[in-house]
Amino acid sequence: MKLLPLVALFSVILLGVLFVYVVEDVPAFGDPYSPPNRYIELFSIDAEGLASSLDAGVLPTGLRTKIEEIGYTKENAFPSLEEGKYEIERIEGEREEGWDVLIMKEELYYPGLEKFYFIKEDGTKLKVCRYSIPVRWQEKCEEEMATPNMVTAGLADYRSYDTLGETVVIYTAAVSVILLLRRRGRL
Amino acid sequence: MSAEKKYGRDVVIETIARLMIPFIQLYGLYVMMGTEGAGGGFQGGTIIAASFVLYVTAFGITSGRKKFPESWNAAFKCLGVYLYAGIGLLCIIFSLGVAEYLNYAAVPLSNIIGQADTRALMIADVVEIGIGMTVMAAFVSLFFDLAWKEESVKEEEGGAEE
Repeated sequence: MKLLPLVALFSVILLGVLFVYVVEDVPAFGDPYSPPNRYIELFSIDAEGLASSLDAGVLPTGLRTKIEEIGYTKENAFPSLEEGKYEIERIEGEREEGWDVLIMKEELYYPGLEKFYFIKEDGTKLKVCRYSIPVRWQEKCEEEMATPNMVTAGLADYRSYDTLGETVVIYTAAVSVILLLRRRGRL
Repeated sequence: MSAEKKYGRDVVIETIARLMIPFIQLYGLYVMMGTEGAGGGFQGGTIIAASFVLYVTAFGITSGRKKFPESWNAAFKCLGVYLYAGIGLLCIIFSLGVAEYLNYAAVPLSNIIGQADTRALMIADVVEIGIGMTVMAAFVSLFFDLAWKEESVKEEEGGAEE
């Protein structure tokens, strides 16, 4: 009995099982409401009396301190949750129901309210979520840069540092190949 | 020259290449510049580089070198990166003290046509062209270097046998 084929077969089966196990947790491709595409849950909190405060447009202090405990504070360069710098909107859609927390951003060229937190009711609990970056790409990119193509806008504007680096990588690769291959007998 | 004599010329391949190369380059430009369709600088640059590869396959490497000389190649390669980084520098200068590198809205053109349109223009016509130029020149340079190497090795081996 050969040992190597058995070990190979066993590891292939193991990898297959691992793959299926991992893929089961991955959200369906293109689902706009899956966590990486829409929002990620931060924590949940008891809903006693908080809903009416949210409806009135004021972030309850308990919620605010808990958000700041995680580290989303002004010292860490996140937009502040002080009174008057945010607005709360009630949202009622097909698949989502809750409150949007829009925070005023202190950007030089694009000051304005931006969606930051999403609070959703789940029985007696309130789930506090944070919006992901693709939401801003989807909603703001055409208005901010008059470009219907979201991919190009992201590549050349929002992530232009990254693209500049990629271009320099290609340039460096070409220069290195020149240095390596054009020695013409000089080694 | 010896290589071209050895392989000879093929009328079919040359005619097809003559017909197709302009269209390939036009398509490359379309992919490179448009922000409405799919694509971008990297893809467009690669398509244009592929047209040069087709030219070399059809007409031989020495005539390909004459069409796209080494000096142009180096110039394009550097110019692309300079365009991109230069726009960033322009933004630093014009954003006056806040140093917003690569924030295209800072370019004073935005006083005339608006911030959104300035950003669209910079993306479509400056940045993507810069990326495309660098990628195109880099790929052509890689291809020529590898092809020359092959040929010189072959010639050396042939000389040794004789």
